[in-house]
Amino acid sequence: MNQHYISIRHLSKKFNKDFVLKDVNADLAKGEILGFLGPSGAGKTTTIKILTGQLRPTSGDAEVLGIPCDRIDETIYEQIGIVTDVSGVYERMSVYDNLKYFARLLNVPLKEIDPLLKRIRLYEHRKKPASKLSKGQIQRLILARAILHNPKVLFLDEPTSGLDPTTALEVHKMLMELKDEGMSIFLTTHNMEEATKLCDHVALLNEGVIVEYGSPEEICLKYNTVKKYRVQLTDGSKHLLKQSTQTAEKIASWMGSGQIETLHSCEPTLENVFLEVTGRELQ
Amino acid sequence: MKMKPIHLRKLAAITEVKGKALFGKNFIIMPLFSLGFTFLMKVVYGAATEDALDMSAYALALGVLMNIMMEGVYCTAAALAEEKEKNTLRTLMTSSVNGLEFSLGSLIPVVLMSTIVNVLCAFIAGFNMELSQWTSFLAITVACSATSAIIGMIFGIYAKTQVSAGTITTPALLILMMIPMFGGFSETLENISSLLFTGIIFNAIANIDNALPVTDVKGIIVLAVEFLVSAAIFLALYRKNGFER
Repeated sequence: MNQHYISIRHLSKKFNKDFVLKDVNADLAKGEILGFLGPSGAGKTTTIKILTGQLRPTSGDAEVLGIPCDRIDETIYEQIGIVTDVSGVYERMSVYDNLKYFARLLNVPLKEIDPLLKRIRLYEHRKKPASKLSKGQIQRLILARAILHNPKVLFLDEPTSGLDPTTALEVHKMLMELKDEGMSIFLTTHNMEEATKLCDHVALLNEGVIVEYGSPEEICLKYNTVKKYRVQLTDGSKHLLKQSTQTAEKIASWMGSGQIETLHSCEPTLENVFLEVTGRELQ
Repeated sequence: MKMKPIHLRKLAAITEVKGKALFGKNFIIMPLFSLGFTFLMKVVYGAATEDALDMSAYALALGVLMNIMMEGVYCTAAALAEEKEKNTLRTLMTSSVNGLEFSLGSLIPVVLMSTIVNVLCAFIAGFNMELSQWTSFLAITVACSATSAIIGMIFGIYAKTQVSAGTITTPALLILMMIPMFGGFSETLENISSLLFTGIIFNAIANIDNALPVTDVKGIIVLAVEFLVSAAIFLALYRKNGFER
């Protein structure tokens, strides 16, 4: 039994003569969230399409739930859920009927629809045509449809792209709940805050190549070469201090006299790391 | 090509959703138009000749042809193109629906509705048939409706939007309808017509009217080949649409 729900080894994909993925390696274990982080065109969606059987790799191997991705057929979709930026809903059908349709396709008892609608806070809109929903509500409906059959692995391609902060936070909360319930989540995003907050492991992807791989904390600490502290005193003055004996003494002195309002260490963010490694912005 | 299993619960779900879509405002006009067209032909040809009985067969043939083309090809193409345009087709493909389940689920409601409308056209045209002739009429119209629906799905999966589905189906509709209609004026057209399912159903109604066998072995072979080739093309395109696109 493979201990990883997803296992990617030396995966490459070429369109015409251009590589969009080069020698990509990653693993996703049960109950983990793995994030592929990178700007548009980095190869994130291509990776999801290969892992869900919608594209064939040029070389390398990838397995999802122990099934090689070049042998994936329709049956795997009963064990995985997919949310992409092109996931559609039946606009003329009600919210409930949208879920009912896919419940019948995926052999899910209809009694499970109402609790799910309550969970995603669409129960009061259950009779409303999907065309009348806001963008955030549609995204929640798409997410509900993807988790309707309680899949082992959930693929999310930019799940909060274009959503307002409140709805994005709701999606984040739901993803953490699903993770706690044991669902494995493969997430692509260009939002480094989202990746830092949600992911157990991230792969920083640039032009089809993974330039860093690990937990967000590990990656950030690895690039924390010049350690600095940002201090704001009660008189309003701000200080950026490099780690040294003198800095330690100064901070101790301010602390002793009760002058410190705020004190922060200044590790790089994933965005800083990405910029340092690739020389380009994430957004 | 490896044969995929068909799950009846999926087939039932797709059939129900597709059936409801046929009664939507976008599509319900087509069967109504066919019924109205049959009535108009009956009135026009009835007024133009005293031999109204013969012309009822012609009015019925035109009505059935119109119905099979508009409902079978146009409605099916537009419905599938809408699924592509709104990205629900890709969602279905990634929800364990295989090409055979999708095509049968799309086919069944179209063929059912088309058959009901064809029967109504026969009554509107005032075309009298014996029980055995009704059986032949239903068999040939069901076969042709199924073929036209599959051809509609090929156009639908090829088209990117509903608008482009309408654009690319129109010339095909006209060609498939006009060749049998004008087959009597040219031997070449008549020969071509005998190789088209539209030509076979057009002639079949005339044969029923003249108490002849509904079609011959050649006609059955043509119907079978056109259905199977269309189905194979659609299944290949369905898979192609899901992979490497």
